[in-house]
Amino acid sequence: MGHLAVRRSAFAAEFTAERERMASSSARGELEKMGIDQLKALKEQADLEVNLLQDSLNNIRTANARLESAAGALNDLSLRPQGKKMLVPLTASLYVPGTLDEADKVLVDIGTGYFIEKTMEDGKDYCQRKISLLKSNYEQLFEVLAKKKSVADEAGMVLQGKVRQLQAATTS
Amino acid sequence: MSSSMALRDLQRDLESKANDLAKIQKDIAKDHQLRKKYTIQLGENELVLKELDLLEEEANVYKLIGPVLVKQDLAEANANVRKRIEYISAELKRVDASIHDNEGQQNSKREAMMKLQQRLQSIQAGKAKA
Repeated sequence: MGHLAVRRSAFAAEFTAERERMASSSARGELEKMGIDQLKALKEQADLEVNLLQDSLNNIRTANARLESAAGALNDLSLRPQGKKMLVPLTASLYVPGTLDEADKVLVDIGTGYFIEKTMEDGKDYCQRKISLLKSNYEQLFEVLAKKKSVADEAGMVLQGKVRQLQAATTS
Repeated sequence: MSSSMALRDLQRDLESKANDLAKIQKDIAKDHQLRKKYTIQLGENELVLKELDLLEEEANVYKLIGPVLVKQDLAEANANVRKRIEYISAELKRVDASIHDNEGQQNSKREAMMKLQQRLQSIQAGKAKA
């Protein structure tokens, strides 16, 4: 669960950096005014940022999947009666038979090495809260990605146009 | 004769300024990495604080110290996390100031280098004509 916090914070840091860069991004008219080299540099920069954003989006999706499976496991656990026989994993390949103790309390990893004891209800609620937080982060990030992608695409188109113009000028 | 010595001096000066600039830029890059790390840590700690605030008085808090889960007092955990947040915020501000300074130095170095280059070019142009 610590990983989630890392993803979220990395996203937050990137998001504010993105905002600052987007404030200075070019409108179509400005793109036209730029020289070929500048345009190329801008497009490469924008492509780089798009890739970074894609990676972040993927990370959020993975974290979300893990949270969902945790929530599912919680739900499953709450259905089991106390004293039920179970197999406890000690390592990835070693399981030990045991019995289920109280399933009403769960330990939640909230990050930076802290764990809190919560009731099953609160635990499920925690998972839901984190899932919706991640979902909203994902949507915000997706918007930023879409805008960056359109900037990159436009820069690419204007660049192609200029290169063609240059070729036409040099061959004629 | 003296003009070619002046030329060499200028070139050496330009080189040393270029080295300085490279060093400053490396420092800026390092500071950016540091800033990223601190921002992430700050975010994580603030999340933890939020969760702790949602807890009731008697709720159990544990801290993972190495392989051991140690029971902690809620008030103590709160205080610890708050202190961490304060410390990280202070470090973040320090790094930001450092970045700001370095960027200022970077810009003034760039300007100085440009002026040097211009002088260099004008001397070389003068020599070519002579």
